[in-house]
Amino acid sequence: MRTNTMIQVENLTKRFGDLTAVDAVSFNIERGESYGFLGPNGAGKSTTINMLAGVLEPDSGEIVINGASDPTRSEVRRILGIAPQALALYEELNAEENLFFFGKLYGLCGKSLKERIELTLDLVGLTERRRDRVKTFSGGMQRRLNLACGMVHDPQVLLLDEPTVGVDPQSRNLIFEKVAQLKSEGRTILYTTHYMEEAERLCDRVAIIDHGHILAVDTVENLITAHGGPSIVKAQLAGPPADPSVLPGELNGLSLAVESNEPMAVLADLNSSGVRFVTMQIERPNLETVFLNLTGRKLRDQ
Amino acid sequence: MRSLLIIAMKDLRLLIRDRFGIFWVLAFPLMMALFFGAIFSSGSENRAAMRIIAVDKASTAESSQFIAQLDRSSALDIQTSGEDSARMLVRTGKAVAYIIIHPGFGSMENMFGGSDTTLTIGMDPSRSAEVGYLQGLVMEAWFSLIQERLFDPARSQKYLTDFIDQLDNDTIMDKRQRSVLTDFLGDLRQFMGQVDSGALADTSAGVDENRFVMGPRVRTEEVTRKRIGPRSSWEITFPQALMWALIGCTAAFAISIVTEKTRGTLIRLRLAPITRVHLLGGKGLACFLFSITVCTGLLLFAKIVFGISTPDLLMLALAVLACGVCFTGLMMLISVLGKTEQAVGGAGWAIMLILSMTGGGMVPLMFMPDWMVTLSHISPVKWGILALEGAIWRGFNYDEMILPLSILCGVGIVSFAVGAVVFRRVHG
Repeated sequence: MRTNTMIQVENLTKRFGDLTAVDAVSFNIERGESYGFLGPNGAGKSTTINMLAGVLEPDSGEIVINGASDPTRSEVRRILGIAPQALALYEELNAEENLFFFGKLYGLCGKSLKERIELTLDLVGLTERRRDRVKTFSGGMQRRLNLACGMVHDPQVLLLDEPTVGVDPQSRNLIFEKVAQLKSEGRTILYTTHYMEEAERLCDRVAIIDHGHILAVDTVENLITAHGGPSIVKAQLAGPPADPSVLPGELNGLSLAVESNEPMAVLADLNSSGVRFVTMQIERPNLETVFLNLTGRKLRDQ
Repeated sequence: MRSLLIIAMKDLRLLIRDRFGIFWVLAFPLMMALFFGAIFSSGSENRAAMRIIAVDKASTAESSQFIAQLDRSSALDIQTSGEDSARMLVRTGKAVAYIIIHPGFGSMENMFGGSDTTLTIGMDPSRSAEVGYLQGLVMEAWFSLIQERLFDPARSQKYLTDFIDQLDNDTIMDKRQRSVLTDFLGDLRQFMGQVDSGALADTSAGVDENRFVMGPRVRTEEVTRKRIGPRSSWEITFPQALMWALIGCTAAFAISIVTEKTRGTLIRLRLAPITRVHLLGGKGLACFLFSITVCTGLLLFAKIVFGISTPDLLMLALAVLACGVCFTGLMMLISVLGKTEQAVGGAGWAIMLILSMTGGGMVPLMFMPDWMVTLSHISPVKWGILALEGAIWRGFNYDEMILPLSILCGVGIVSFAVGAVVFRRVHG
């Protein structure tokens, strides 16, 4: 095992009856890396996270975290922080009491616990609501506190299972910012989502996962290059062209669409064709198209 | 131990903030105790005429009249018996007091203040108020007897003649005193022969008929009662209330374990660097601590408001602790009976209601038929109530407490172990 690898997973498999939720999955996450799991609901993302956290026991395969092969060991648990997909908070307690409880479970106490609580509340923007009971919080605030509870003990590895599900845009942006901040602090992050924007924005590498299989792993750029297909240049003509044969691509009325791996060259050609255009735009492929090309389905068409 | 306490404190805080939960754990049992205690106590007031045992050692017409006179009072339930039997009945609390009517009762000498004791009242000193009332009734009966005797001229003349004859033969009394008394009684006999009996019986003229006579010579003796029953209905209803409080605790904490799962916090707890023993132990500790705190609170309330006390505080503490162990174990077992709060809550209350019904938690076992009493052995509620009553009013010694305490602890430990094993299988 390479010394820079924080998480190493080999042939991880989990079955629930006849359903194979995770099927021989293998991947590595480097220290300080932000690694995304992009896939639709039921793809096996949460099951993989739960196995990494030691909450679910795999049927087969190997998990090594920070050099230790048993994630249930105390020293491994101390470096792991989790923000589960379902909110894991005590609604009758206030924000501070939730953090206090989870911090103490991880062995924090006294001044260091207080400092961590202050820091974490500040990080997720809940300092002013610290003494309010969780049940009075909005969905977005509860999500942020859910994240805070996973970070209060200052873990090296964060397992964030769809941390923005059901939150308002303001809270979502705040969570993005905080995850980026945590990444910049050198923490290793495993981030699952079915929103391609999140994966593109936050993850150094993204694994496309579906039906328990990892279909592709790479940086966003490389995934798009390898699996995204050509860009599409779309243009709106000012009027019917005198000679349509000079135009590349497909002309439908006054709308022109040109597929190309060199969209900038296409733009230059159109500009010099003598035809007048009202608008021009390039539609680059994204992770959605990567997923579509790999699976034949959209990320959220279920 | 630190992790155990952290989890326990968190659970206690959660329970305290759940006002509805607190109602079932604390207020509801208290209401049960007060409601049924009030019903039982008011019922007993209506029911109970004081049971008095009369021991007629005089066996005269006067003593029979006296007993009949006492029996006319609705406040008294007079039964006759031998002296030993009477003492036993008072000692065992089956009678409030006994009255021994000594030989010579009703003679003119005793009626006019003879030197011999005419009546002995034996009583339970703890029931002094009732005995004081009894003494008043005894005096009333005595004076009724005198009145009846003196105001019947024919009978009084006979008694006076007999008494003058006795005085004539008396060698102990001072001669001069005897002479004065003989003259007085002679005049009185003559007077009684001349007056109209109807006029004598009419006391409306304001004549105090009792001023010429003295009360009976009464001796009282205390009979230390061996306590074999509750001193009040509260001593029955409060042990039952404690059972309801424990049932409430059991249901609340059993549900809290499932809530950890449904709310997702179980994942966090399992991800934390604590063992399953810490997790379940913390839950159990919280349930145990809350159970004994609630029990202690209810017992303190019972002591302050209703004067319920125990002759042996250590024994009562042991009973409370054993009940806590038992119901903590049951809590763990019930928590694995369902996958949702509704399932566990429903199953928990259903099981607890059955255990409570069969164990005397609703209707005291003493009012149940024999077959129900036999069936009650399977219910830990029965053993809990028995242990508490044993320490409060049954007068158990430590040997007698071993059985209920052992059963309670055994049920608790086995239930907790079974629940923990199932929890492990279900939750990995």
